[in-house]
Amino acid sequence: MKKAILIILASLLILLPLSVFAGGAEEVQEAGPVSFDFWTTETQSDRMATIQVLIDTYTTLYPDVSINLVAVDENDLATHVQTASAAGTLPAMFEAPAETAVAFGVEGILDTAAVTDIVNGIGKDKFYQGALKVLETSAKDGYYALPYHGWVQGLWYRADWFEEAGLEPPATWEATLKAAKYFYKPDENQYGILVGTKPEGYAEQCFTPIAMANNAALFDKDGKLVFNSPEMKEAVEYYAELAKYNPPGPQTWRARDYYLQGKLAMFYYSTYIMDDLALQEVAAGSLTSENFENLKGSGFDPELVDKTKLAPIMTNKASAGYGTVVAFGLFNQDDSAKTAAAKNFIKYLYTQNAYITFLHMAPGGMNPMLKEISTNARFQNDPKGIFKHYGAEKMGEIIQGLDSIETFSIVDGNRMEAASVITAQQIIPQMLYKVTQEGMDVDKAMAWAEGEMEKLVK
Amino acid sequence: MNLAGILNQNNLNRQQRESVLGWALILPAVLIILSLILYPIIYNIYLSFFDVNLEGGNTYIGLDNYSNVVFDSVFWNSVYTTILYVLFTTIGTTLLGLIVALAMNKEFPLRGLVRSLILLPYVAPVISVVFAWKFIFDPVNGIFMDITYEKLGMFSERFNMIGTPEYAVWVAILFSIWKGFPFAYLMILSRLQAIDATLYEAAEIDGANRWEKFKSITFPEVYFVVGAIVLLRIIWNFNKFEDIYLLTRNVKVLAVYTYFKAFTGYMEMGQGASLAVIQFLLLIGFILFYVKRVLKW
Repeated sequence: MKKAILIILASLLILLPLSVFAGGAEEVQEAGPVSFDFWTTETQSDRMATIQVLIDTYTTLYPDVSINLVAVDENDLATHVQTASAAGTLPAMFEAPAETAVAFGVEGILDTAAVTDIVNGIGKDKFYQGALKVLETSAKDGYYALPYHGWVQGLWYRADWFEEAGLEPPATWEATLKAAKYFYKPDENQYGILVGTKPEGYAEQCFTPIAMANNAALFDKDGKLVFNSPEMKEAVEYYAELAKYNPPGPQTWRARDYYLQGKLAMFYYSTYIMDDLALQEVAAGSLTSENFENLKGSGFDPELVDKTKLAPIMTNKASAGYGTVVAFGLFNQDDSAKTAAAKNFIKYLYTQNAYITFLHMAPGGMNPMLKEISTNARFQNDPKGIFKHYGAEKMGEIIQGLDSIETFSIVDGNRMEAASVITAQQIIPQMLYKVTQEGMDVDKAMAWAEGEMEKLVK
Repeated sequence: MNLAGILNQNNLNRQQRESVLGWALILPAVLIILSLILYPIIYNIYLSFFDVNLEGGNTYIGLDNYSNVVFDSVFWNSVYTTILYVLFTTIGTTLLGLIVALAMNKEFPLRGLVRSLILLPYVAPVISVVFAWKFIFDPVNGIFMDITYEKLGMFSERFNMIGTPEYAVWVAILFSIWKGFPFAYLMILSRLQAIDATLYEAAEIDGANRWEKFKSITFPEVYFVVGAIVLLRIIWNFNKFEDIYLLTRNVKVLAVYTYFKAFTGYMEMGQGASLAVIQFLLLIGFILFYVKRVLKW
């Protein structure tokens, strides 16, 4: 591992100066040593190691800069930022899902001018437009943060089981519920579906396409809160019905292990799962019956990837897909040297080699936001062989899907900033928890959620 | 002017000089205590009377935070959960500690090894044992469901012991007893070892049976140790956060409820502060009562 890191480091060192200078020698180096914090939501140790390699490479090029990498869990990010903001200790740079970044922008704690400057430097037309749109300020005069990578979510399902049972793919409300019921066999320790029921971000990620497929929205195009609608109520009721065919108790994305063990028919997940499906050693590292042979259930199936299909779009009254853009942003700093240094570091991360190294942390899961990278031969030749496994064409489709991301926060092409704040505060997940786990009446739970949303909107 | 300078001033007599030196020596400690303990407490009490705005500009709202908190049924739920949690964990840890200490006070082979193994739950890091417990109670793959449902058929279906709201508090209690009993055991055992063996010999001559010996000798001897352990456990568990929060987020004891109120969602810092004050008052009231009645100080 160490050796591998060294080799990567060495090769980057050789390649990097070329690309940096090729990109333009207009970089002005700050005077005197400067140090800044970088908060990332990539908390897994191997991902942090890769980012650290990039930081080490950069700081070797610019010895006056030191960057302190801090991992923050995505679910705790909003809380940490609010307290750091009150204490005046915000980091210069952060990585966060676009919705969260917009919520920070609405609070006025982001340096949007510096970010917009980087976007213009790289060239607006080089980005996927859908991704930039998500991060545009409401005045449409700039950007809250820079799109860096993104994933698409969908319902992954056991195509072989569906075929055998003669069931339709789970692309509609009706087909999904029918299949969830059919495959729910708790006596055999097998479950129909996995949707999020813990009060965490994952629950909202599962709920959003289901609600949007029913034309339910948080806001109308004039920015009025229309959460408590018959469409939304139907969606919550439908979700609660689906959740009955979940594995027992409150669940979150970690339960995807049950799918890898052959105990689950369908689960909502991002394209990050491609990694785990295609690579047996990754899956074997999780809780499988290979490691616990007395437990009921089948072992890891190396053919699982061929038996698995993705339904990225959910349809009922309308059709909806879901995905998330992950962005880099800059918090306002008292010391402008820190912002300048962070800005330079972000520019570096957009250079070809650094970018591809970053994305290769999770091929399939991390997809580029610059069009030229997605067709780059080196990017498509990922070390884990995911592109080879799924084929460049299928991967291309996934990346293209990022251009048409839909969320509660975009209504008729207008960005609803308040929706991002609601997402960041996880009100919908809490409501879903109340309904599915605490048995709260749907009307009561929705009234509660509406009350919380009104507090935030106000 | 330095300390030696003050001390050498000739208008001070020996006693005054000693007193100046004494104050000078404890001054750093006093300053640290004032700044690290007293200041946060006072600031917290101050905040509890304000509508706190993180971007600055707190507004004085009198007792509104308190009334908002007290008239919320969620608050009373969390008081109830806290009392339930404190009551059962205190009884559980103390009783289990006492029983194990009595057993470990007897001679048997490998006693030293067993005595130290019992301390394991107490010294193991919370986060690692929490993960182990989560594995044990996992509804689909956990060993608990495998044994009770699959092998013994005790339940009609698999269920999520840790996650389900109505069971979660009991798992938290069980966890706390398991993790906390070695402390009670250690304290009681050391007291037991100090009891004079001649007392038991005299009791045997008088024809006392086991229970009578426990009631008349052992219990009075360990009474104050047990009293102190109970008090400590109540204080600790009344404010317990990390064990519960890490294990399951849906057991809202006061400490966890305060955290959710103050730091998540629509952050009500002022109400969080008033919750902390209420919690503090409840605890202080209880301690005063307990020290007077049980410890008889």
